[in-house]
Amino acid sequence: MPRKPEDSPALDQPAANRRNFLKGAALSGAAALTPAESQAATPVPQQIKITPPGPRQLAADTHPPEADPVNQSSSGGEFMVDVLKSMDIDYMVMMCASSFRGIHEAIVNYADNRKPEIITTAHEEIANAMAHGYAKMAEKPIATIFHGTVGVQHASMALYNAWCDRVPILAFCGNIIEADKRLPGAEWVHSAVDPLAMVRDMLKYDDQPASLQHFAESAVRAVKIATTPPMGPVMLSLDAELQENPIENRAGLRIPKYTPVIPPVGDPGALAEAARLLANAENPVIIVDRMTRTPAGLERLVAFAEALQCAVVDTGGRMNFPTRHPLNQSQRGRAVIAQADVILGIEMNDLWGQLHAHSDRVHRSDRGVTRAGAKVITLGNREMYSKSNFQDSARFQEADLTIAGDGESSLPLLTELVKKAVTSDRKSAHEERGKKLGAARLAAVNLAMSDATLGWDASPVSTARVAAELYAQIKDDDWSLVGSAIRFNWPQRLWNMDKKHRWNGGSGGAGIGYNAPAALGAALANKAKGRLSVAIQGDGDFMFVPSTLWTAAHHRIPLLYVMHNNRAYHQEYMYLQAMAGRRGRGATKAHIGTTLTDPNVDYATVARGMGIYGEGPITDPKELGPALKRALAVVRRGEPALVDVVTDQR
Amino acid sequence: MKVLKYALLAAVGCLTFGLGSPSFAQQSAGDAARGKDKYMAVGCFTCHGRSGQGGALNYPAPALVDLPMPADALAAFLRNPVGDMPPYAAAVLSNADVADVLSFIKSLPGRKDPKTFPLLNQ
Ligand code: HEC
Ligand SMILES: Cc1ncc(C[n+]2csc(CCOP(=O)(O)OP(=O)(O)O)c2C)c(N)n1
Repeated sequence: MPRKPEDSPALDQPAANRRNFLKGAALSGAAALTPAESQAATPVPQQIKITPPGPRQLAADTHPPEADPVNQSSSGGEFMVDVLKSMDIDYMVMMCASSFRGIHEAIVNYADNRKPEIITTAHEEIANAMAHGYAKMAEKPIATIFHGTVGVQHASMALYNAWCDRVPILAFCGNIIEADKRLPGAEWVHSAVDPLAMVRDMLKYDDQPASLQHFAESAVRAVKIATTPPMGPVMLSLDAELQENPIENRAGLRIPKYTPVIPPVGDPGALAEAARLLANAENPVIIVDRMTRTPAGLERLVAFAEALQCAVVDTGGRMNFPTRHPLNQSQRGRAVIAQADVILGIEMNDLWGQLHAHSDRVHRSDRGVTRAGAKVITLGNREMYSKSNFQDSARFQEADLTIAGDGESSLPLLTELVKKAVTSDRKSAHEERGKKLGAARLAAVNLAMSDATLGWDASPVSTARVAAELYAQIKDDDWSLVGSAIRFNWPQRLWNMDKKHRWNGGSGGAGIGYNAPAALGAALANKAKGRLSVAIQGDGDFMFVPSTLWTAAHHRIPLLYVMHNNRAYHQEYMYLQAMAGRRGRGATKAHIGTTLTDPNVDYATVARGMGIYGEGPITDPKELGPALKRALAVVRRGEPALVDVVTDQR
Repeated sequence: MKVLKYALLAAVGCLTFGLGSPSFAQQSAGDAARGKDKYMAVGCFTCHGRSGQGGALNYPAPALVDLPMPADALAAFLRNPVGDMPPYAAAVLSNADVADVLSFIKSLPGRKDPKTFPLLNQ
């Protein structure tokens, strides 16, 4: 069915008409505007009186049809691509769909599939999780696009993770706004009045541009908002006609200049007060979660901690602090927090959770684990943007001093202020403290090593053995752990993780189905840097998104997945046991609904079926090292691989 | 308030399960092979690992090797455990079973000197 221009005599100008129509639509949707205002905002000749359905619409409906062109020399999609190029968007990760065929075609042909280059996935959740992992590793967002309504719903899980993890994604979906332009059938069920309503609670910004100029401004605005801490996914709904129709007047369109937003430094007076408290404290502790945005973040935290010679507890939302730094007390967080007299939480999502213990019993209870009178200072972006429905805020933690400001950006000033505040008589006490912490860390490392010997030769393979065997194979490369399984913290306990790219943080929303694709997204970012990417992969997580492997193969993204195959949704297996125990019913049925057996999944065969190298299942720990070696040889030559290891539970 | 309630529950628990009775003390020498089967069947392994190496629920589930408890203390603990450790009623795990489980735990290889593991010293 041809889509006819409404009131334009020019063949190549429906975009202009669409703009006018959309303006009218947007205004009537706004509802708050008076008819007079709405008339003033719509550039139509004065003598035409606007009453539904509107003379212009009537004229279009009743006049003989315009000539019906079969070719066009430009498209809105091309302009959209120009806008993306202006912001250096490297990839467009997608699950293809007709509602964005206009921009899709412009990318592959007009842009020759470069900047952005299309990454093909088989599920919108994979596309968005890839963008999530990529953005953290590459320190810049990429774009995703998916179908209106149906694609948005598939994408929502991954958008939620990115929202909770405060990670920028420039997401798009298609929509066909104008009802009479929709084909019968799918185009109706794939269109919505407000397609982003269902994900708005997990977006930092969204829009449905009514013109190409509107698109340009909203896209640049979206990226600026997405990348301003606290970061988050943003999304634009792209009208199909806006993408598809010819551009009326390219010279009249302007792409606004994109300039990154400089994140805010905390108030100097407040930082000075924090510095004073920290410098004079007996046992200050820094707890840090989603702080490091760039490699500088980690270095700044090292300088800051060294200036204080105090304990650092890295809860791992990002790679914040080197695991082998003497001040790293993450493995004995509870002990140092219990002794602290001043606690500084930087970019913490759940500081309350660190300062309290909570019991999961018939009657739930909690207790503080800090010393009476311990002072709490927070520094971060947390309070600067939040929403109310989803409870990712975590429990409210009261504080003595709350400083709004970007953690990474505020650290240099805070470090200077601490250096000034540390008097020479305190210096030697600080040195002494640092030494004690270093010794305590070594003791924690010895305990970790001792723990790792437990079950060393067991089958199923212990998780410690998996970590140790893997590290042996990668430690001399420029490696990057792009993902890990739930509570699989052996790398943090045993490996030398010393740079930002050694670890990429967790999912944020604890929505399973994140790790496999997010790891692949991070590996895509690492590919450009020649890094060796490895991921520990939970089998339960993988089962949500197995076709991630096909994308890895198709785009030749080098990454080793080490399948932590405990043949269970093990977290839930344990919870079900706890429930049964509470009710005195034993645990013999706790596997029902929580395990992945009968049949066991042969992940190596799945991998090969998806076109990547696969080995396993490995049950004998002695076979693991050689298998990893073979698989890593594949990865080092630029391809993905998977080793399936049948593991003990945790 | 809550602390008091837990203390009461603990007391009731001890009465109900009749801990410390002479018959239980007699059963304390367990059978490791049977204990292994129980350890797996009632799911100790899911939180504490097949090798008693420990694991993680909401917080860490401790390693059970070199467990300092005697069998009656372990049984008392299992009937009325602390933190997020689930309880095991006598109907699910008898005192004799507990003794078997303890024997199994004691039969585990346990810790070794990590210095002798090149892969743990990298
Ligand atoms: C659902 C998970 C779960 C299961 C199943 C479970 N435990 Fe535990 N267990 C825990 C947790 C968590 C703790 C730590 C409790 C605390 O201190 O807060 C614990 C603690 C213990 C302790 C105390 C250890 C110490 O050093 O303090 C013993 C002993 C123990 N469990 C034995 C067992 C035995 C035997 C079984 C099977 C009959 C079992 N557990 C089953 C989770 C579990
Ligand atoms: C989308 C979603 N569905 C269900 C859950 C509940 N859940 C939490 S952990 C978990 C198991 C994940 O399995 P796996 O990745 O194999 O890790 P394991 O627990 O076995 O270590 C599930 C199903 C969730 N967090 N997210």
